[in-house]
Amino acid sequence: MIPQKFDYAVPKNLDDALQLLASGAKPLAGGMSLIPMMKLRLAAPERLVDLARLKELNYIRESGNELHIGATTTHYDVESSALLLRKCPLLPETAAAIGDLQVRNMGTIGGSVAHADPAADYPAALQALEAKFVLKSGKAERTVAARDFFVDAFTTALGPDEIVREVVVPAEDAATGAFYAKVEHPASGFAVVGIAVRARRNAGRIGFVRIGVTGVANCSYLAAAAEAALEGKLGSDADIEAAAALVAGGVDANSDLYASADYRRHLAAVYAARAIAGALSRCA
Amino acid sequence: MRISGSYSLPLPQERAYQLLQDPEVLAKAMPGCERLEKIAENEYRMKMKIVLASLAGNFDSKVKIADQTPPSSFRLLVEGSGRPGFLRGDGLLKLTPTGNGTEVSYEGDVQVGGTIAAVGQRLLDGTAKMLIRKFFESLSQTATAASA
Amino acid sequence: MATTITKVETLVGKRIRRREDPRLITGTATYVEDIQMPGMHYAAVVRSPHAAAKIRSINTQAASEAPGVVAVFTGKDTEKVGPVPCGASLPGLRVPHHHILATQRVYFVGHPVAVVVARDRYLAQDAADLVEVDYDILPAVTEPERALAQGAPAVHPEWPDNTAFNYHQDGGDVDKAFAEAEVVVKQRIISQRLIPTAMETRGVVAEWRAADRQLNIYTSTQIPHLVRTLVAGMLALEENRVRVITPEVGGGFGSKLNVYAEEALMGFVAQQINKPVKWIESRRENFLCTIHGRGHVDYYELAAKRDGAILGIKLKIIQDLGAYHQLLTPAIPTLSVLMMPGIYNTPNVRADIVGVFTNCVPTDAYRGAGRPEATHGIERMVDILADELNLDPAEIRLKNFVPQEKFPYQTATGLTYDSGDYAAPLKKALDIVGYHKLRQEQADLRKQGKWLGVGISTYGEICAIGPSPATPAGGWESATVKIEPSGKVTVMTGACPHGQGEETTFAQIVADELGVSIDDVLVIRGDTAIVQYGIGTFGSRGTAIGGTALYFALQDLKAKIRKFAALFLDSEDVTFSGGEVISNASGKSKSLRELAAASYRAMKLPPNTEPGLVATRFWEPPNFTFPFGAHIVVTEIDGQTGEVKIRRYVAVDDCGNIINPLIVDGQVHGGIAQGLGQALWEQAVYDENGQLLTGELMDYAVPKAHRMPWIESDHTTTPSPVNPLGVKGVGEAGTIGCSPAVVNSVVDALSPLGVRHIDMPLTPEKVWNVMAGRRS
Repeated sequence: MIPQKFDYAVPKNLDDALQLLASGAKPLAGGMSLIPMMKLRLAAPERLVDLARLKELNYIRESGNELHIGATTTHYDVESSALLLRKCPLLPETAAAIGDLQVRNMGTIGGSVAHADPAADYPAALQALEAKFVLKSGKAERTVAARDFFVDAFTTALGPDEIVREVVVPAEDAATGAFYAKVEHPASGFAVVGIAVRARRNAGRIGFVRIGVTGVANCSYLAAAAEAALEGKLGSDADIEAAAALVAGGVDANSDLYASADYRRHLAAVYAARAIAGALSRCA
Repeated sequence: MRISGSYSLPLPQERAYQLLQDPEVLAKAMPGCERLEKIAENEYRMKMKIVLASLAGNFDSKVKIADQTPPSSFRLLVEGSGRPGFLRGDGLLKLTPTGNGTEVSYEGDVQVGGTIAAVGQRLLDGTAKMLIRKFFESLSQTATAASA
Repeated sequence: MATTITKVETLVGKRIRRREDPRLITGTATYVEDIQMPGMHYAAVVRSPHAAAKIRSINTQAASEAPGVVAVFTGKDTEKVGPVPCGASLPGLRVPHHHILATQRVYFVGHPVAVVVARDRYLAQDAADLVEVDYDILPAVTEPERALAQGAPAVHPEWPDNTAFNYHQDGGDVDKAFAEAEVVVKQRIISQRLIPTAMETRGVVAEWRAADRQLNIYTSTQIPHLVRTLVAGMLALEENRVRVITPEVGGGFGSKLNVYAEEALMGFVAQQINKPVKWIESRRENFLCTIHGRGHVDYYELAAKRDGAILGIKLKIIQDLGAYHQLLTPAIPTLSVLMMPGIYNTPNVRADIVGVFTNCVPTDAYRGAGRPEATHGIERMVDILADELNLDPAEIRLKNFVPQEKFPYQTATGLTYDSGDYAAPLKKALDIVGYHKLRQEQADLRKQGKWLGVGISTYGEICAIGPSPATPAGGWESATVKIEPSGKVTVMTGACPHGQGEETTFAQIVADELGVSIDDVLVIRGDTAIVQYGIGTFGSRGTAIGGTALYFALQDLKAKIRKFAALFLDSEDVTFSGGEVISNASGKSKSLRELAAASYRAMKLPPNTEPGLVATRFWEPPNFTFPFGAHIVVTEIDGQTGEVKIRRYVAVDDCGNIINPLIVDGQVHGGIAQGLGQALWEQAVYDENGQLLTGELMDYAVPKAHRMPWIESDHTTTPSPVNPLGVKGVGEAGTIGCSPAVVNSVVDALSPLGVRHIDMPLTPEKVWNVMAGRRS
């Protein structure tokens, strides 16, 4: 379809962008979600400010034991980053599962995270990584943890003139094993269910595990009950199956043409088991 | 699309029943709604604005309250049409007194048409749930304030 | 003295890269959307959001006053334009009057109600959003069996039973067959509604030149001449002053074998505003308003002997027609009836079709058009019978095939199968797939609780459509071949290839016949001012009928050239090779170019011979052709999720002689892709109010490249006696053979659970529910 008329601004730098946002412009990053909505005339922003042009926000850096990823870093950049592959392989693995090649060349981590689609891939990984988001407005900057950032479908902790400036994840060594398992919707490519697991062993037993879930409910979440069921266990098939069964227990799962709520919960358990086993096999 | 769920209101059952049908209270709880304009007994017209991520749609809407069985149940029919499409919701609300308030359970049918129906079936269920949750949260806040 | 002439290598039968491709893959081809004209305006169509409603009023004032808008038209303005035509006729067929813009009522979501014309497409869409239509919403019905039930809303008020037609056909003595049967198996089988999803949506540019009374229409179509005749009729214009030009077409698959409201509507608009006007269909419009495919609920009964011999078949088809008839809508299920016995030697059949109106967009031809449904049905029934009798599905097929000695074979449905060797592709496929080892592996895996399935489909299909008495508009095809004074060759084909590759294959045929370089041959199609009347491309007829017309035109030309050879050389007995015309008697030669130039210069003409080298032929086929084959699909079912993975796909297809194996491979691959789409992923879903829930590519799962299995494709070659090329047609065969092989495979995998049938699409949840239900 044909979008309505709109003004388009290329900001000179981040401050310029924030000023434009404060004056009522809407942010555009990769455009992979916004532009289709505009073409269908479901979204009709009068003014767009193109954040993807901000090269200063496109970076992947290590600092201490953390990795800092700028908001306009594309999925392709994340997927192919040697630094991330070494120190946080869960992120490149998840980025590689997003959409298709064209989407990955354009889509950005900041945009994806701010959009908070219930079936986006990144939130599962970012929850499992206990990521932090640096939010910036013209006046101030603050940091919000992933579990507080994702609130509801398309709803985050972002204030009206805030943008995501940076995503911060832990830099980890081979002692941490991670795995992203996803059921891909055959039409849209979104996650029918997506499970990201990050784990470490301690003297042969599971010392630490985080399980991030996307696609199942209105919002990504950490499967705390499943995590608790694994901590301290050996990680046998039975341990894994018992924990995986708790991943979607009691969750108000979404239902759509492709998968009913019941089937979604079932897939969550199956794929959680695969992701947990995969992560454990990657623990050094 | 079938929807169902429940929400707790921190109010006694009769008060909750009264407030749920109060047009002032309903108006404040409906997304983006200023006020309800009465067009018939238990039937109101209003303008709804639904904002979801980058989507914003204005809907010319009607609300009708029917099958009243005070203080335990009534039917709420909502109809809205706008550029993005139209929606129709028909829900049965049941109020049950609990220890510290009233549990409102709803069960009903939501139909969506036009462009919004086409954008992604995967979004409809979640979006309906979210809007209903926001409605009850907003209702709860308004009702509690009104009761204070 | 006879001389041995060494002929240059022939091109027919060779894998030659397509002449079409360079422009397609460099983005320099011209599609309708690329057409630009001075003063061109843009049209946006306003469509009904309701499946059934009365139109109380339409307020176009705000739209007319919007910036850039030059006109707004509604059904009142276009009432006098002729209805969208239905070319099919059946006894007792009820035909609703199909206005190009709705007048008093709307009948499906997407039904066009108004058109806004503005100087650019953005302003046109803005103004279209301002048209206010007041609807009185009525109840709708979207499922054919519900539409037939008591108390269902009437789609068309004049026909409350929602029945457009009833059709009955008997062959042999089916009552006797069922009385003598030792076993009868029954099954309800669905071939679900599909959305053809050509990559290029529809589009029209119309230009009216008032001083010349000339209307030019650029449209993405499979049938330019038929569109010209029918649209000229709808607009009451002089047919010879209507020109239809088909630029590049980005896929049709039958969905552009039609005449659509917008084609006449843009002609109407162009006449009203006296400016060229363009309309390009959005993907959403395409999903809502371009015809859908299939839409069958079939009730099958098969009568047989315990040894597996099939005695008779009963079939009741409930056909979802949609709200109106497009060009061939009611005829499509009759093609299913024609092929209901498949390639089995069964003389006793009974078929009934109920054509049902629903508040949905019409169904019509989509890759296979009635034959995938029929093949899916009979192949599933044969497997069900095999399961019932505990017979091997390959053995039961071999037992029932029409034997070699019976060709040409009279079927119980009134067809004559031209040629066939049905056992050959099956045996080849069984060999390629390693059938017996697979059965052994299946048994071993079953002990481990794993689900492996082997599915066979042996199909026959009716194509090269067809003999004119059996078609609505004539089924012949035309060709003109011209040799220019320079010796270059131009072919004008009445066919309208839109991806089938005739620009290449026809050039191969010409190159071989005339002995010229393939690069010296140009194939033109799709312009009614340039190309003689033709029927078009559909029903896998392009080469079988269009190529045959070309072949005969070439023979005419060669006969004439021989006369010039006799005059300028020494004999009519010549060989055409390497650009030369060589006397077989003396070995003397003249280039074809010299003879061509001489024929136009006409200094010296042979006796009773006109100047020039042009030949035109219209070829009427005496019969359809009947390709056939065997597909074997090996699937693995994920026991935890119900997901179906295709481990192997073996296709052995017999399309008679092959002109270009590379192009045939493409047709087989593409056909199988669309068959897999039906079997595993696609379904057009309407809710009970007539809203199309699978409204965008976000929900409608067209096959993606990374989901395609590797296709092991092979052939047997049984030439067709119907045409001198021996060609049968292959465009739809892949789709026809595919879906039953896939479903048979999955049912085979799950047979330990007692599963007998699953309807398409085999989504993971559906398969999972079947498994979970059986395992509990």
